[in-house]
Amino acid sequence: MRRAVGIGGLRRKEAERLAMSKKGTELSQREIEKLREQIAMMKDNLEDFVREHQRDIRNNPAFRVKVQRMCQLIGVDPLSSRKSYMSELLGVGDFYCELGIQIIDICVATRSINGGLMDLDELLRRLIRRRLKGSEPVVEDDIRRTISQLKPLKGGYKIVCFGKRKMVQSVAREMNSDQAKVMTLAQYTCKFTMEDVRVAFGWDEDRIHSCVDDMLRSGIVWMDEYNEAYPEYWVMAFFSQLNSTLTMANAE
Amino acid sequence: MSNTTAVPTPGAFQFPEIYNFPPFFTRQPNESTWQEQRRQWCDLILAYYRHNRLYSLTLAEAITEPPFTNRQIHRSLRVDVLRELVDDLVKQGNASWTGAKNAKDSCLVLWRKPEVWASMIYQWANERGLFNTVLTVFELANGDDTAGQEFHNLDSVTLRRALDVLQSQGKAQLFVGTSDDDMGVKLFA
Repeated sequence: MRRAVGIGGLRRKEAERLAMSKKGTELSQREIEKLREQIAMMKDNLEDFVREHQRDIRNNPAFRVKVQRMCQLIGVDPLSSRKSYMSELLGVGDFYCELGIQIIDICVATRSINGGLMDLDELLRRLIRRRLKGSEPVVEDDIRRTISQLKPLKGGYKIVCFGKRKMVQSVAREMNSDQAKVMTLAQYTCKFTMEDVRVAFGWDEDRIHSCVDDMLRSGIVWMDEYNEAYPEYWVMAFFSQLNSTLTMANAE
Repeated sequence: MSNTTAVPTPGAFQFPEIYNFPPFFTRQPNESTWQEQRRQWCDLILAYYRHNRLYSLTLAEAITEPPFTNRQIHRSLRVDVLRELVDDLVKQGNASWTGAKNAKDSCLVLWRKPEVWASMIYQWANERGLFNTVLTVFELANGDDTAGQEFHNLDSVTLRRALDVLQSQGKAQLFVGTSDDDMGVKLFA
């Protein structure tokens, strides 16, 4: 019976309306009353649960993810409205707000180096490093939720994927499909030459030049003239993650 | 920030992550990327020179060595790019060209500005009650009395710059000797 309820004010109202539109019998009225009671009880139970486990929700990311999924199934999104009772109850309004500010901060600070494109794992690494000891731990899921909250901002924050690479884009830019293809081509080696592109896709010189110029102009790619005849183009966002993993491994 | 040893900082220099990025050694065609790149290079030069207590740089020689060559990734900065970077440092008061005028082939790297050296020396003299005494520049740099001071063993050209600052501030008088080492200085309140 509980599952059939499918809480959402909308469904409830629908049920009410349907029930009312039929010349309802007393029995229907009683059923509606029962539904209302059950919904109120569920809401109370959920509130009690969240209140009791507030600290765990903030400090345990795995638990937090589970609670949020449960809320979503029930039809309550704690982040959808800052004024919503759930976000106040969960006390997570502050958490995501703070995370959002930190993410924006990191993206803005690195924009001139990576053209507004950063590996998701690297962003996580930087966030963890930056957050004070004792503050709530952060996982990838938190970043994804925060980024979706940041969508309305002019920055154009979103998650983009190139093959297996997950990146956070923080500049309002539409990458055309040629560039996206080249990014995917370079996802493991971090770099490419114009010759690599020609061999992989068979494009003519003008098309390749135009694509590479766009990527240079947007700042996501750096040029390496070590071999002047075949300059290499490196994707900074891909390299950073690779390098930091190596650096951390060497440090240990 | 205060480092009371007058010798190179122990421990290897920590290069920034970007130092292993091959394109870091190519002047970038994208203007805003280049702005960021030059800023990082300037910071790196000053940090590296400070860490190793190095004071001067001859461009043609320097590019074959760290930090301008990274052997692990087989990359070197070009001399004309280094020249641009030194010009940046000159503009911010952290370097000055030496050698033939307009040749731009050698320079001092002022990872600590002469004014700051000057005030350190002045403060030391004040604390030791050495105003109105003539000291040789040599003993200022190398004497036992200054052992443990930041400016102990300071490169002579840089030291001379610092003393020039004090002189222009009216806090010192320099006396020319038969050589730079003989040069004397009197500091006063």
